[in-house]
Amino acid sequence: MAKRYKLENAVLASPTTFFLLVILGFPVILSLVYGFSETSFETLRSPEFSGLNNFHKVTTDGTFWQAVWFSFRFGSITAILECALGLALAVYLAPLTQKNGWIVAVLIIPMIVAPAMMGLMYRLVLNEFAGPIPYYLYNWLGWSPAFLSPQNVFTTVVLAETFQWTPFAFLLFLTAYRSIPQEMREAATVDGTRPWRLFWKLELPLMMPTVFIAAFIRFIDGFRVFDNIYTLVGAGPGGSTTSMSIYIYETFLRRGEIGKSMAAAILLFAAAFILLSFAQRLMRRTFR
Amino acid sequence: MKTTLKLLGVTTLCALMASASHAKVTVLGWPGGPEETALRAAASMYNERADVAEEDKVDLLFTSRDGFFDKLQVDLAAGSTAFDANLLATYSIGKYAPFMEPISLSDEAGAVFGGTVLETMKFDGAQYGVPTDLSLHFLYYRTGLVNALLADDIAKARYTKIALEYLGEALEPKSPEEWTWQDFVANALYFTQSINPDSPTRYGTVIQAKNLLFNMMVFHSWPRSYGADWMDAEGNITVDSEAYRAALSMANLLFKLGATPPDSTSYEYAEANAAYSAGQVAAMVQWNAAAGDLTGAQPDTGTFAPPSGPEGRFTHIHGLGLGLNAAATNKDGAIKFLRWMSTEEAAIAYAVAGGSPGLAAETAAKLSDDRPDLVQSGEYASTYGFVMNGGTSGNALSVYEAQAKEFTGFWAGTQDLDTALGNATEAMTELLK
Repeated sequence: MAKRYKLENAVLASPTTFFLLVILGFPVILSLVYGFSETSFETLRSPEFSGLNNFHKVTTDGTFWQAVWFSFRFGSITAILECALGLALAVYLAPLTQKNGWIVAVLIIPMIVAPAMMGLMYRLVLNEFAGPIPYYLYNWLGWSPAFLSPQNVFTTVVLAETFQWTPFAFLLFLTAYRSIPQEMREAATVDGTRPWRLFWKLELPLMMPTVFIAAFIRFIDGFRVFDNIYTLVGAGPGGSTTSMSIYIYETFLRRGEIGKSMAAAILLFAAAFILLSFAQRLMRRTFR
Repeated sequence: MKTTLKLLGVTTLCALMASASHAKVTVLGWPGGPEETALRAAASMYNERADVAEEDKVDLLFTSRDGFFDKLQVDLAAGSTAFDANLLATYSIGKYAPFMEPISLSDEAGAVFGGTVLETMKFDGAQYGVPTDLSLHFLYYRTGLVNALLADDIAKARYTKIALEYLGEALEPKSPEEWTWQDFVANALYFTQSINPDSPTRYGTVIQAKNLLFNMMVFHSWPRSYGADWMDAEGNITVDSEAYRAALSMANLLFKLGATPPDSTSYEYAEANAAYSAGQVAAMVQWNAAAGDLTGAQPDTGTFAPPSGPEGRFTHIHGLGLGLNAAATNKDGAIKFLRWMSTEEAAIAYAVAGGSPGLAAETAAKLSDDRPDLVQSGEYASTYGFVMNGGTSGNALSVYEAQAKEFTGFWAGTQDLDTALGNATEAMTELLK
């Protein structure tokens, strides 16, 4: 009987497995081949094995480390800001959202916009000569910050990302907050626990697994950021807004260094894999 | 059921026959804008010619401008037979040349386009394309502002004082036709409100300095007028030169002193045009394609070739054109069409329909009523046009990319000039070896 089920499972899973192998497996194998080869657009069909040469090129390229640092900073700061704001909004607005579901719908609107569109929108909105924000600032204050100047561009892209993805964290935290049994809150209140202490000692600890997951997802998303930054400011002057994804894209298509870009992609994948395993282990230990 | 199947069969057969008898030469063109309109008009004219065989008629294919050259690169490398002739640009000929075949143009091509323009479609001495559109740069300036300055002695004195203070030279205002790059900078400083609070414009100029290869093309004419080149005759990289240093430093002064908008390190074509169109910029160097928009927004706009330097006056030129796909399924038909595109008849039809071919003076004169702007761009291209040594090589685009990254980094203050030029030299040595 068990053998029959095993066979059935294998048969039923085979279309999905085949699909995944074709869709994911083929590009992965191709990336591995190119990552260890000397390849250009002229030699796409005849890559020459070059060992670790591409990995050496990548790891000795200052722009690569600049991109790693940018992605790490961007991913960390946006994850922290989004989670802090999302948590504050979820807890503060919980009584309101309980009664008025439409508030949640309104708050998640930025999340629905495609990131590339968001980048283009900011490019227009923040433009000193065509954008409404600098226009009104000039009219009212006689001055406007140059949002995309080298000094301000990092802050601007961080805020743009935070504005778009805080709703994601908010949604997760709201669900977690609502799932806390009301009796626990009532018991604590009966014992004389004040609201602030209730939050720190009861609600937040119960929401911590969600906070951890939200922060992790947002960090990964921020680390691999591409579209909104690329459409807003590109790789940045001197490569100052080059994220890992932008680095890989530019190395591949703009400079035609296919092997080098694949090597960078493999390193990114390896780093993400290690980070993911580490985070999973940490989560299991902490919230067992 | 039987009837339905028969109907389906007949419909399919008709569709196949229709497509088989219609177009046999597929041409991949530059989508959107006047280039598409002009190519459609020219192809239509070609297809109506009595001497064009049914199997050589032209069908046009347009995709999207976004990532066009990246997609084309992949298509050509994969040996795509979806098109017989395709668009190519001066700075990417070398990249596409391994997947294309040289062509021969009509006997009148030299007289129609002139040598400088034909050169923009050559790689390793071979003609890879027929030029269709020519891009170069103009100096755009507000004639009202310049004339007011030239007519006011107090303003002139202030101009000279500003030039002396920031450039170390007591320059006097001149007509833009006489401007050197020093004058361009002095004018930009004078018309910047943070330096001259009485300036009618917020900024004297706008430099589109996003880390983008096309922005380096706009900047190119500046170092060239100081004698810059990418390589010398022996193939040594010469970007770390006094010429590049002079031009980069002067442009940097404009960033430092706020004579260009502070976030212009994120500007490209559209943003720079928006600044000028808003009336907040006194003069700028921009592509010739912007003439209509800028003149429309600021009717007192005057145009001339970019300012001159110690080595003369120059304007970067590059062309768009059409070339032959090595994997073409109808090579003979494509060759015939490309050859016809290099005739005067085709060039005039293309220009009248809105294209911007770079035409020799004699041909341009025939269009002086319909397209007076082509007379000016043709004249500037033949008189001041240049292509850097290595500008059509396989890695020319990557060279622009490398320069964009390094030079914009210098202007944004993330690295010094020595580092920028050192990195550019290193990258170019690798790319142009």
